[in-house]
Amino acid sequence: MKTKATLSQEYVKGLWDQNPVFKQVLGMCPTLAVTVSAINGIAMALATTFVLVFSSLIISIIRKLIPTQVRIAAYILIIATFVTLVDLVMKAQFPELSKSLGPYIPLIVVNCLILGRQEAFSSKNGVGRSVLDALGMGTGFLGALFVLGGIREILGTRTLLGFQVLPDFYEPWLIMILPAGAFLTLGLLMGFSNAYIAKKKNKERETLREKYLKPKSPTVNAQEA
Amino acid sequence: MKIVIHMLVTLSIIGIISGGLLSEVSGWAAPKIAAHRKAATEKAVFTVQPEAKNQQKVETVDFELYKVFDDQNNPIGYALPFEGNGFQGKIRLMVGVKNDLKEIVGLQILEQVETPGLGTKVTEDDFLNKFVNLSSVPKILPVKVEPTSKPTNEVQTITGATISSKAVIAIVNAGMEKLRKVKEEGGEL
Amino acid sequence: MTTTTVNPTYRLELTSSPHVHSRWSTKQAMWMVIIALLPPTISAVVFFGFYQLLIIAVSIGFAVGTEALIKTIRKRQINIKDGSAVITGLLLALILPPNFNLAFTALGSIVAIGLGKEIFGGLGYNIFNPALVGRAFLQASFPVAITTWEKPNFAVDTISSATPLAAFKFDSVVTQLSSLFIGNIGGSLGETSSIAVLLGGIFLIAIGVANYRIPLAMIIGVIVFGGIFWLVDPVAYPNPLFHLLAGGFLFGTFFMATDWVSSPITAKGMWIFGLGISLVLVIIRLFGGLPEGVMYAILFMNAFVPMINRYTRPQIFGEAK
Repeated sequence: MKTKATLSQEYVKGLWDQNPVFKQVLGMCPTLAVTVSAINGIAMALATTFVLVFSSLIISIIRKLIPTQVRIAAYILIIATFVTLVDLVMKAQFPELSKSLGPYIPLIVVNCLILGRQEAFSSKNGVGRSVLDALGMGTGFLGALFVLGGIREILGTRTLLGFQVLPDFYEPWLIMILPAGAFLTLGLLMGFSNAYIAKKKNKERETLREKYLKPKSPTVNAQEA
Repeated sequence: MKIVIHMLVTLSIIGIISGGLLSEVSGWAAPKIAAHRKAATEKAVFTVQPEAKNQQKVETVDFELYKVFDDQNNPIGYALPFEGNGFQGKIRLMVGVKNDLKEIVGLQILEQVETPGLGTKVTEDDFLNKFVNLSSVPKILPVKVEPTSKPTNEVQTITGATISSKAVIAIVNAGMEKLRKVKEEGGEL
Repeated sequence: MTTTTVNPTYRLELTSSPHVHSRWSTKQAMWMVIIALLPPTISAVVFFGFYQLLIIAVSIGFAVGTEALIKTIRKRQINIKDGSAVITGLLLALILPPNFNLAFTALGSIVAIGLGKEIFGGLGYNIFNPALVGRAFLQASFPVAITTWEKPNFAVDTISSATPLAAFKFDSVVTQLSSLFIGNIGGSLGETSSIAVLLGGIFLIAIGVANYRIPLAMIIGVIVFGGIFWLVDPVAYPNPLFHLLAGGFLFGTFFMATDWVSSPITAKGMWIFGLGISLVLVIIRLFGGLPEGVMYAILFMNAFVPMINRYTRPQIFGEAK
């Protein structure tokens, strides 16, 4: 049997190896729609993480009580409860933020990342692992949305988190805060990350080849001798 | 049969707990949300009716309309939120008009998705101030050059943002039309 | 001397389209296009001044530079001599407004080559016309700068700096067809003078670099589709000749839509492609928010090219239906 991952691995895997945005390509709707600024990205990711962690917590606790036939309905009920909770609290305490995120807070319900983690992980693992997994995925989501929102905000409005970071003579590229800018940025980021991984793999293959093929070659040895 | 009962019971319990929790939170949040909404509306109403000190929602019409009063509590006019199509999407604005439903006293854009830097110029004071003391009868007309005579019913459109400017004017016209129609038909405002 | 046990690798050389489907090689054809673009370039200088040459130089320079840089990073052979980057740069410059900001021009050029062509794998792999991708990026990024037009050099007072299409759309002003033909009007560098564009375009078709079908389909299409509306209401909708001569229609017809890589390869496909562009164009011009739509019409139909090619493929003899 495959050895179980350590607890820290459960958390770390969501940061990069199974990053929800760049690797699993889940939750694209909020990723593309709300990342016009870094702060929007952070708020969206925090709201999603909150829902994800608490849903995972509850579902991993009661996972053995839910009949398989209605598990999806039960998951959606639990997820929807937490989403509504977040929506109400945001509207009451942070009306400005709630307005700028618009319909995307209620839409967390249908974010495949959340339902996906319940189906793939929390329904099969204990409470501790499920919460760590959810936290890891949430952190990965946060990182991706912050980078995406940050890049779009800097190029599109020359500010980051509201502070001007580019000089006045830089004319903002409005396309970056339009939907087209979201697709361009995400596409390029994914492209670069894939290119980086491909390069790394190539290098590993090269070193393996060096290690196992070269020394065994008799001609090389003969020449040296 | 047993499994069906199990399914029903599980879902019902989750539903009951969820409903109970949410109704608690909603009870706490609802007044706050209502307060925010009221503050936002009042802010917009008082921007388009600078002399107003008090406002009240008009309940006798089937659309949103606010009646405003001065410091002696005399009615001085109305504030009407209205929406229509802009260049890329809906424009929602609020227009302030005097009691006679003819002279406009202020205009504010509440929501819009126009082209940044171009169509968004309609939200700037340079454009909005052109509506102050503007006559809305028979209709507000978009023109290319700044009107010289006052009072006028002409508004100069923004160069490069003709569509958005005309859209705003059309929305204001439609709103005023609607108000006057209610009054002509003897409706109470 | 060292020998290794690793087998020597034999490489199969594969190239993608544009394959030679004319009597010209890719390289020769590219230089013919540049010659054909000379009349519009000259008209740009005549009507808008020598500063426009600077825009053209910056655009070509950054296009070639970007191509060389990306090829170097990707460790591919640098083929500047095939002229395709030069054409992209020149085409982009000619569809920009006069006296356009040079930094924006450079950015558009980088985007045209980088995002329009190289990201798909270079010449032959791109789905969209690279110059139009650059223009679309600039249009979305700097909507104010790209709709700021200059008066042409020989403007009389009655001619405003607004493009004829914008004048018609927003103020119902009809520009004289003779002005449209000569080019003494507001508009993008190389697009204003219909006669200069026609000169270059007919040269391309005459020597066989561009196929006649796409331009012909577009011209027939715009006359038919524009004509239908004109016949319905001659006041609200412009004369089809106005559609033909105003804005970037002719330039797009001869130099953008005929691009070897991003247009269909079958004869039937070319007709569908051309008619499709003119239909989309007429719809955008008459009912859209923007006065001009050649760029979006061509980009839109570019996206359908793989599908058009697939469905218009000649049937293989004996193949069961």
